Amino acid sequence: MGPVPRTLELFYDVLSPYSWLGFEVLCRYKNIWNINLQLRPSLIAGIMKDSGNQPPALLPRKAQYLRNDIRLLGQHVQVPMQFPKDFFSVILEKGSLSAMRFLTAVNMEHPEMLEKVSRELWMRVWSRDEDITEPQSILAAAEKAGMSTEQAQGLLEKIVTPKVKNKLKENTEAACKYGAFGLPVTVAHLDGQTHMLFGSDRMELLAHLLGEKWMGPVPPAINPKL
Amino acid sequence: MKDSRNQLPALLPRKAQYLKNDIRLPGQHVQVPVQFPKDFFFVILEKGSLSAMRFLTAVNMKHPEMLEEVPRELWMRVWSWDEDITEPQSILAAAEKVGMSTEQAQGLLEKIVTPKVKNKLKEDTEAAGKYRAFGLPVTVVHLDGQTHMLFGSDQMELLTHLLGEKWMGPVPAAINPKL
Repeated sequence: MGPVPRTLELFYDVLSPYSWLGFEVLCRYKNIWNINLQLRPSLIAGIMKDSGNQPPALLPRKAQYLRNDIRLLGQHVQVPMQFPKDFFSVILEKGSLSAMRFLTAVNMEHPEMLEKVSRELWMRVWSRDEDITEPQSILAAAEKAGMSTEQAQGLLEKIVTPKVKNKLKENTEAACKYGAFGLPVTVAHLDGQTHMLFGSDRMELLAHLLGEKWMGPVPPAINPKL
Repeated sequence: MKDSRNQLPALLPRKAQYLKNDIRLPGQHVQVPVQFPKDFFFVILEKGSLSAMRFLTAVNMKHPEMLEEVPRELWMRVWSWDEDITEPQSILAAAEKVGMSTEQAQGLLEKIVTPKVKNKLKEDTEAAGKYRAFGLPVTVVHLDGQTHMLFGSDQMELLTHLLGEKWMGPVPAAINPKL
């Protein structure tokens, strides 16, 4: 038996494009590095509120920068990112509360589906500029990920229950306790210590921390196309 | 910061906390001996870097060949040994450490109060602003008639992707990795 896999917690929200980038890179490396990747759906709006931070898009120059940065990173990390036409409406008005509650329910009942369903929600909002707030939108994503309509409907009904609402709150608070002021946040548990890394561009640094090899955002061991 | 209406990250408590812890790790990874100054807020918010950056502007105008080594010494002072970089003696000490003669360094120090040097620093800062900088460092790549602005020190792998070059990590093998 080899050394014990190191636990990595990834706190993410499908509203956050950088979360998608971090998510895809870690999903690729989870079969290469000796790690145990724990996905923790969280609410970025909650983290902003709790930390007193402001979404970067509210500063004009950062908003401009984001557009370009997302495009370039999408190419480099090979994730089909597209800025939504009405970006402000998507991020600031529509938000992701139902979607993240749904993913929380998925994590509680069918954790093996969490990666696929998360990815389908990102594809909707951050690749095809489609809604993720309406029940039909969330169901469509779940079904596309391979869930049956019954399964998906069942989970959708659960998103209004205290159990699911509280679990999402818990995850969000846990991220805040680690010092999050945005997402994605990767927490590495190493030799009895925790290391919190913010952002999707810390993966090479994470490799250094873990003593693993960095092979770029699209490591050769897997099919690079999504 | 002023021009873009951005706020220094250190002013948000959680970002300040993150910065303190965070800088150590990239320092190790990139093999740069970064150490947080004891009184970080005082150094960043009150003391600042105006004279130091005017001095470097003067170096760039008169002795551009020294422009890699002098900034490194200033960084070593403020970001490795927690030493002052605002007093004339501090700036002179940094310049002399990299081989500038006292006369040369004194000469440049006198120039930092001239309109020529002050304006040149303004120009460089405004140029970054025109590229829509909201902080530093900013790397601007000129490629096939286009410009690409990259913010931050952790975009270097993305930069190689843009340039079609090979990324070999922050300490590429071709040089002596120790500073």
